[in-house]
Amino acid sequence: MTDKPFSNRQQLEEIRRLLAGTPVIKAACDLDLLVFLHRHPRTLLTNEQLAAFVGYEMKQVAKAIDAFIDAGFLERTQNPNHAARMYLLVLNGPQGGGLKRFLQLASTRQGRREILELLGPGRPQTEPVDISKSKAKRRLHAIA
Amino acid sequence: MAERDLVKTGIAGLDDILSGGIPRGNVILVEGAIGCGKTTMGVEFIYRGASQFDEPGVVVVFEVSPDKLMRDALGFGWDLAELERQERLKIVFTTREVLRQELQQADSVLLEEAAKIGARRIFIDGVARLVGGNGTPESRSAFHVLTEGLQRENLTALLAVEASSLNGHGVASLPEESIADSVIRLKMEDNQRAIFRSLEVVKSRGQDFQMGRHTFRIIDRHGIQVYRRVQAPRKASRDLAAAFDPKTRVPTGTPGLDEMTNGGYFIGSTTVVAGISGVGKSVMGLQYIAEGARRGERSLMLSLDEQVEQIMRNAVTIGIDLEGQMKSGMVRVEYEPPQEIEVDVHFHHIEELVKEFKPKRVLIDSLSTYGSSLGPGGRVFRDFFHALVALMKESKIAAVYNHENPEMLGMNSMMGDFGMSSLVDNIVLMNWVELGDAFRLGMTIAKMRANPVDRITRECEIMNGKGMRVLPRALPVPRLPFSSYRGLVSRSPERSRRTVEEVAPDGSSE
Repeated sequence: MTDKPFSNRQQLEEIRRLLAGTPVIKAACDLDLLVFLHRHPRTLLTNEQLAAFVGYEMKQVAKAIDAFIDAGFLERTQNPNHAARMYLLVLNGPQGGGLKRFLQLASTRQGRREILELLGPGRPQTEPVDISKSKAKRRLHAIA
Repeated sequence: MAERDLVKTGIAGLDDILSGGIPRGNVILVEGAIGCGKTTMGVEFIYRGASQFDEPGVVVVFEVSPDKLMRDALGFGWDLAELERQERLKIVFTTREVLRQELQQADSVLLEEAAKIGARRIFIDGVARLVGGNGTPESRSAFHVLTEGLQRENLTALLAVEASSLNGHGVASLPEESIADSVIRLKMEDNQRAIFRSLEVVKSRGQDFQMGRHTFRIIDRHGIQVYRRVQAPRKASRDLAAAFDPKTRVPTGTPGLDEMTNGGYFIGSTTVVAGISGVGKSVMGLQYIAEGARRGERSLMLSLDEQVEQIMRNAVTIGIDLEGQMKSGMVRVEYEPPQEIEVDVHFHHIEELVKEFKPKRVLIDSLSTYGSSLGPGGRVFRDFFHALVALMKESKIAAVYNHENPEMLGMNSMMGDFGMSSLVDNIVLMNWVELGDAFRLGMTIAKMRANPVDRITRECEIMNGKGMRVLPRALPVPRLPFSSYRGLVSRSPERSRRTVEEVAPDGSSE
């Protein structure tokens, strides 16, 4: 299948602008985690489970979570005695408007593709884990 | 005695069946097959609590993503996102493994989150596999741990559990049923080629409830509506409200008929007008309704046979401005197609209509259509008719039921296959009488409770633009009057008197 051109230049510019305003989105893992959290704004999961749902290595996901928390749009509640953490995506902060639009664009296949392509230069692109082989996939089977 | 602390579900019709609600702190198991409405019921339980009863709630989901849950809830008009913003609701996505661990610990993060908004209710969607679901002692024990965790927080919990064996008529009890305080079973039931939803409260600790399978529907922009089983016993107090007025009469609107009925029907009475198709039952019914409107009495017509527009047209042909009477608010005509009637739903509509419109007269056209839809010999039809009669009596309505008796010339029984004449106060028989080359119309008051009637068969006629009237007994026509015959209500009338020439050589009847 050949690569499709960007749907239109305006959208491309918009994505570029939104990415510039959202420096924590640096890689595919960040994008997919954000989309997952948007669909599940309040989750109670272990890090392993979250990684399995998103489909990346736990280390990458943990790093993305920390970045989101630092950026102020993710809250984490945890009890040291429990493996699970409660995550709450907060989109009403200063970055909220941009993130909502960003998520809207990422919700389509074409939009996601364009974002991923733009995440390349200057932002180290992390390839999604081959979930069929990953520990995360095995873990997902175990908990399902 | 202290008043019981009942949690209202807020689900239309369900609290009535539960005698007001569910005891606070109960663990309610809602079981049923895929697609029978468990999730909708659970979400509505939480939504109503948060939006109507100031009882914040938590929804826990495992497979459904919260954004889809919110989208689907919006279809019912439930804005869950807004409730979340107002901190009256939290939707938590988790796994069964985490939830099981959470509820086993006193310092659960989930229950902490629930406490932050003062949650009083919780809905967990899909607990079967949470506890194993195979009925082993371990799974029972896991479920027990779960319920203990919820009770520790005094949450009234609704737990949805999938039970595929509950499709159709299969009944297989789940091990969780014995531990749960209340069990509500949802089913999809076959009826010919239709599928109806039913709800049964199997048990509910600490309260009385209406047993049996009730109908329910899932309605767009509304949610769940439960319709009480029409056969369910009524409160005795309702029967005491029935009319007891031996004087007031409800005039029939058919000239000549009031004389035959000593001035009309009693308030709260049940009248069946029986006769084959085409004898004029509906005409007489329309006159009954129009007479009510003329006297300033609200009148309701329920039709299963003809649509409203057609009924209005029919009325015009006998000189009745039904449309005008409807516009004035004195008359209401309701049509419901008879195919696949859900009897509980239908009865609920009638109850609501009666409650809202408060008619003094009701015409039901026709009883036989109910019979063909529900099966005349079955218990369902009989119980439905019982409930209808009781409702009309309680509401002090003089109700007339048209009934098509299939016999063309005469009658062998008053109500054909409908062996319910004991329920009926008045029976008006209408039948064709073949005299010479003409069908003529005869009417007999066969039964009238608390009313002596002569049981004489009179001739009637329907005149274009005027409607029906009962003719004088002695007809000033050169034909033999009905009184010259016997056996008019049988299949073969016989002349019992002399010929026309012998009676009146000059052409008069007497």
